[in-house]
Amino acid sequence: MTSFILRRLGLSVVLLFIISIVSFFIVTLTPGSPYPWGELNPKISAEVKANFRKKFHLDRPLHEQYALIMRDLFTGDLRSIKDDRPVMSRIMERLPATLALNFTAILISLSFGTLLGVYAARNAGRWQDMAGSFIAFLFIALPSFWISYLLAIVLVKGFHVPILGTHSYGIEFSNPFAAGLDTLWHLLLPATVLAIGGIAAQSRYLRATMIGTLREDYIRTARAKGLAEETVLYKHALRNSIRPLVTGIGMLLPALISGAVIVENIFAYPGMGRLGYEAVLERDYPTLVALNFVVAALVLLGNLLSDLLYAAVDPRVRLE
Amino acid sequence: MRTLRLFLFGIPAALLVLLVAAFVNATFLSVAKKNEMSIGTLGEPSTLNPIQQADSASSQVGGLIFNGLIKYNQNLEIVGDLATKWELSQETTFQFATEEEARKANFTLGTILTRPLPFEDTLQGNALILRLKEPGNKLSEDLLGELMSDGHHPLPFPPLEPGGKERPFKAEPIIRFTLRDGVRWHDGAPFTSADVAFTYRAIMNEKVASPRRSDFDLVDSVETPDPRTVVVRYKKPFSPALLSWMTAILPEHLLGKLDPARWPEAYNRAPVGTGPFKFGEWKTNEFIRLKKNPDYFLGSPWLDSVVFRVLPDPLTLQLAFQTRQVDFWNVDPWAVKGLQGDQRFDLFSAPGNAYNYIGWNLRRPMFQDLKVRQALAQAVNVPQMIKYILYGHGVQSTGIFTPQMWFFDPLVKPLSHDPEAAKKLLDEAGWKPGADGIRVKEGKRFSFTLLANNGNEVRRDIATLVQDDLKQVGIEVKVEIYEWAVLLKRFVNKGEFDAIVLGWGLGYDFDQYSIWHSSQTHPEELNFVGFSNTKVDHLLTDLRQEYARPEIIRLAAELQQTIYGQQPYLFLFVPEGTEVMWKGAYRLRHPGPDGTWIDEPVHMTKAGWSYDMEWFYRPEYPPTAKANSITR
Repeated sequence: MTSFILRRLGLSVVLLFIISIVSFFIVTLTPGSPYPWGELNPKISAEVKANFRKKFHLDRPLHEQYALIMRDLFTGDLRSIKDDRPVMSRIMERLPATLALNFTAILISLSFGTLLGVYAARNAGRWQDMAGSFIAFLFIALPSFWISYLLAIVLVKGFHVPILGTHSYGIEFSNPFAAGLDTLWHLLLPATVLAIGGIAAQSRYLRATMIGTLREDYIRTARAKGLAEETVLYKHALRNSIRPLVTGIGMLLPALISGAVIVENIFAYPGMGRLGYEAVLERDYPTLVALNFVVAALVLLGNLLSDLLYAAVDPRVRLE
Repeated sequence: MRTLRLFLFGIPAALLVLLVAAFVNATFLSVAKKNEMSIGTLGEPSTLNPIQQADSASSQVGGLIFNGLIKYNQNLEIVGDLATKWELSQETTFQFATEEEARKANFTLGTILTRPLPFEDTLQGNALILRLKEPGNKLSEDLLGELMSDGHHPLPFPPLEPGGKERPFKAEPIIRFTLRDGVRWHDGAPFTSADVAFTYRAIMNEKVASPRRSDFDLVDSVETPDPRTVVVRYKKPFSPALLSWMTAILPEHLLGKLDPARWPEAYNRAPVGTGPFKFGEWKTNEFIRLKKNPDYFLGSPWLDSVVFRVLPDPLTLQLAFQTRQVDFWNVDPWAVKGLQGDQRFDLFSAPGNAYNYIGWNLRRPMFQDLKVRQALAQAVNVPQMIKYILYGHGVQSTGIFTPQMWFFDPLVKPLSHDPEAAKKLLDEAGWKPGADGIRVKEGKRFSFTLLANNGNEVRRDIATLVQDDLKQVGIEVKVEIYEWAVLLKRFVNKGEFDAIVLGWGLGYDFDQYSIWHSSQTHPEELNFVGFSNTKVDHLLTDLRQEYARPEIIRLAAELQQTIYGQQPYLFLFVPEGTEVMWKGAYRLRHPGPDGTWIDEPVHMTKAGWSYDMEWFYRPEYPPTAKANSITR
């Protein structure tokens, strides 16, 4: 077990190294240059431009730039080209809002998805199942920007509700509770939009495994014992159908900090997606490389976690 | 099992309850509007350090926190800000071989010139130093002429830049600023001339990497004889230099001893200035909140706070305006018409400071003939473009300056749209219609590629309309669209293109040397069309040395006329910007020119609708008598 973990960690380091090289070159070989004041700006002299390029090592050959970025990343000195602040503190300041958004979204998609899945499996083949399938496929098919705009227009034009950012502006709340509810409201909307695809996927997934499980002998046995249908469904069937999901939790790790560009932009939510998106537009190489690195590390860690959990839930699996 | 079911049913139920509660709260329970102005911006400031930024989002916020030494008033005249007075003068030095010769030359000047003399004179060894009342090269050149004609031959000075020409005299303009008394930084420290000198040193410091550095390249020294006086000496006459003192002044007592590498953390996101608003709070990608500075030197602002909200999506920014989450909205041209009759809104429209054009690469033989360029300008239907691309919200461009600038010449009239005249001009230039309808000269078809950048719909539409217009007169245009970065790197910077759709947005600077001077045509320089004209070269250099406003206006007009006559660009249009505010949401109570307070509705001025924004107030929070009694 320990040797398995050590081996996997060693492999992950090698992989991370390769990923960092690939991501660095993809980022830097994109046309354009990270120049914050506009290329065609008559106010900026060639000297100022050269000074700027020197400051961020952009005058060096690419392999040296890579080495410098990696050195700075590990010493914590890596600075964003946009505002000259350490990249890690820029990432960390997005973390709370991003975690809140993604955690809520995952919670919504898992809970509603599971309910919908169990309901569909229970009524497999009947009209309830058809309706459930229809809704699930509709949810998968709807593009998130469309739902976001629709939601925004209906809520704003119809009800005059503030929806942008993390809280309402320009008004004072009578008590902290109302202010808290206001913040929650601003969190729930984008989280719901983000969760819609997840609800659909989770419900379809669960429906399929659940239908399989319900045909098993031990379910028939449980029913024959005279157990309540609820107990059969939620204790015997669901627990056995949910196992693949548990192992999938590892993949939630990167999902928790990854951003949702479109939804964050529309709802003006200050998350990781906008950080990355703006860094791409500004060719902010240090921020992009650091973001890629962090997410890649979390993916690798998540994979490892999945494997470990798999062994933990299923005694038949051994890690060698 | 219980926990699982609790999770399965409890969470959705709880979420639904919360959703309803939060919705009700947000819809019905919100109370008490704050005395706060809310401004929505699509982009976020990169830094609030005014000498380290050049983006509009940053300068909008910085404008409320900082002051420069001087500023534009609402009629775009220069007035004092942190300075109450500024005097221009110049020291011109003639150098001679001997002391004796200098003395004789001085005597000559004293006898032949009428009194009172336009200068004060000093002899310093073999140098004759004249203190002129006005900067510029003209008077010095006249004096040099007098001296030479009388047989005095001053020695030349070495050139300023390596490879430059030797100079017959040394002309050093001097600006002497007298600073306002009793100004304090937001932290209470007094503002002095040391802050001004420090700001100059910071801009020139390579570690600060200031984009404003080129504005101060010609500064020779900044001296502070006393806490209220700043004397700036320049290496040579350069009139745009005065405008550069609109740059915000930084606090020496906070930054002077701090390594610039630490500024981004320690200062740039929580700056201390002298302006009407203090920095409050910055949440990245969300908002920047400023609080009023009750000790502002002109008196406390009426608003409690100003919040800049970052709303990156144009549609939701519009929604935020409609629910009064933000107070202003910059409207796209297509939407203006629908709002114009609406009694709920106040609209402020004015031509912007940017114009669109098609640059002809003058290195290409087909564009070298002026007749051809005139024909192209007459063949393209610009009024139609304004009608269909800008929905009528723009004016036809008549050259390198836009109508809002104080040196713009309104007498330059645009070339009329006249395809028949265009055809005639092309015939005269030797381009005759060929077999396929495309004109031919010496076996070459009149066919070229027009470039535009991806993602800019206005420029793409321009290219399409030009293609159609020019086809009517027998010219074939191939349109190619590239990503902005690719466009610059592969075509513009190398000067390798036929024609290109671009735009300039240039602010209120009359100096366009870097765009039009014939010395600026190398790769990566801004005269990428390769324009070269002796008269324009002279005008550009003269303009840089002219300090008197009427003379600047005269030279600028001549420059605008000459370049428009040469048609190196097809000058298209100046788009109009429109800002919307809920009717009467704000009024303005600001210091008038004579020191009294003027109360008036928000209105359009030459300097824009948001001029003196720090003095906006909400009618439901009227200016109080106490605040009112504060004198300037």
